[in-house]
Amino acid sequence: MDTQWPRYEVFKQDSPHKAHEAVGSVHAPDAEMALLQARDVFVRRPSAVSLWVVPETAVFAITAEEIAANPVPPLPPIATHAQTYLVFTKTSQRRSMTFVRHVGEIVAATPQIALQLAMESGRFNEDAVFVWWLVPESAITRSEPGDIDSLFTPAHDKTYRQQSYYGFVSPTRNRK
Amino acid sequence: MQSDPVDTDRLQEFETRIARGEKIEPGDWMPDEYRRQLIRMISQHAHSEVVGMLPEGAWITRAPNLRRKMVLMAKVQDEAGHGQYLYHAAETLGISREEMLAALLNGRAKYSSIFNYPTLTWADVAWIGWLVDGAAIKNQTMLAHCSYGPYSRAMVRICAEETFHYKQGKEMIVHYMSSGTPKQKAMVQDGLNRWWWPMLMMFGPHDTDSPNSPLLIRWGIKTKSNDTLRQEFINEEVPELLALGLTIPDPQLAFNEASGSWEIGPINWDEFWQVVRGNGPMNAERLAARQQAHDNGLWVREAVAAYAAKQQA
Ligand SMILES: [Fe+2]
Ligand SMILES: [Fe+2]
Repeated sequence: MDTQWPRYEVFKQDSPHKAHEAVGSVHAPDAEMALLQARDVFVRRPSAVSLWVVPETAVFAITAEEIAANPVPPLPPIATHAQTYLVFTKTSQRRSMTFVRHVGEIVAATPQIALQLAMESGRFNEDAVFVWWLVPESAITRSEPGDIDSLFTPAHDKTYRQQSYYGFVSPTRNRK
Repeated sequence: MQSDPVDTDRLQEFETRIARGEKIEPGDWMPDEYRRQLIRMISQHAHSEVVGMLPEGAWITRAPNLRRKMVLMAKVQDEAGHGQYLYHAAETLGISREEMLAALLNGRAKYSSIFNYPTLTWADVAWIGWLVDGAAIKNQTMLAHCSYGPYSRAMVRICAEETFHYKQGKEMIVHYMSSGTPKQKAMVQDGLNRWWWPMLMMFGPHDTDSPNSPLLIRWGIKTKSNDTLRQEFINEEVPELLALGLTIPDPQLAFNEASGSWEIGPINWDEFWQVVRGNGPMNAERLAARQQAHDNGLWVREAVAAYAAKQQA
């Protein structure tokens, strides 16, 4: 009777000129509440200007290793009408690097075709991609610019959450 | 360990990737034992964050002033968030959040032994920040280099936040020891007497008694041993504690000029295993508090689900 809710993947944008990056997931009964959960879990500190949530079932994820093991992605039985897919890639092994970042759009009938088109397009530096995510635009729920004041701005005033607020604390080294 | 020839090739390729410094991501091939060890470690780690809210949460209503209260609430909220980051990382390995929560509530899952000690005075809140979060940061900074992508990224995020936890605790101890009343200083010393040894046990058994360590190190899950991390932490913190005029509750503690290390007396591993096996001073209370929170939250979960259903209709 008491079961977990569906999982939503969360994407966070730190400033208007940066890409949305996958930061983790939350469980919620619907997208609206997933967005609120995402704010509490991932934005207790500055900075964020936008959050997206996507039901985990809408994400088509594949790693370079999986593509290498199975070079031709299975084609769908029937191509329905095309829609826009957002393309996300992971292109670095640096540990501080967030996982997959939003890098562009592809119009296709299925995520598998979107992946093929993305790889062939030359737009996404495909040889350097470790992980691809394709997400239908229609599956994304986004925070609105009007939400910034209520969702994200309060974190700026909570300076005591920042380690820099405490300066350098050491009884043995020069006291400040 | 792997007898299937296909798996032997894959295992070799997997270990080569790790040696090259690549991260293993969800979807990539991994040995079953790698998955099993990660699920064990990450879920225990998540439970520790969640149970870790309880000893400090008990002092929110009794914080000595508004500033300390806001700081403590922010810290406890962070620990809730850390639990969420880690449950997410474990879920990418194929275990469900529900299974993990059930294991915590029915007592099958383990969590850090330190949270089974009571917080008797306000100074304990400060010591948890300095020593417990400090010890956790040592371990987590190492795990940020972990070969499994989701765990490594969760650790990077957590370490950035933990530095605030460590500093707010240390700031309090420094303040009480430099300008506090004799009573406050005595309270701080009493806290150190009680937290010092359990904190050292947090790093886990000696290397000679940690059978999983060699494999974890070979697969890049851990990059340093328990004893190495413990000794690094002792060397960093002992001079700081002594500079404040505190007495460390270990008559055998001595600086070894040759090795440049502070050497400690024997750790009481019987106590450690008693606490791990559920017989610590607060094990039963902690689990009862988690169960109560889960039960008391049921109406909220039901209300939220009802709201979602209504929106859909
Ligand atoms: Fe934490
Ligand atoms: Fe912490």
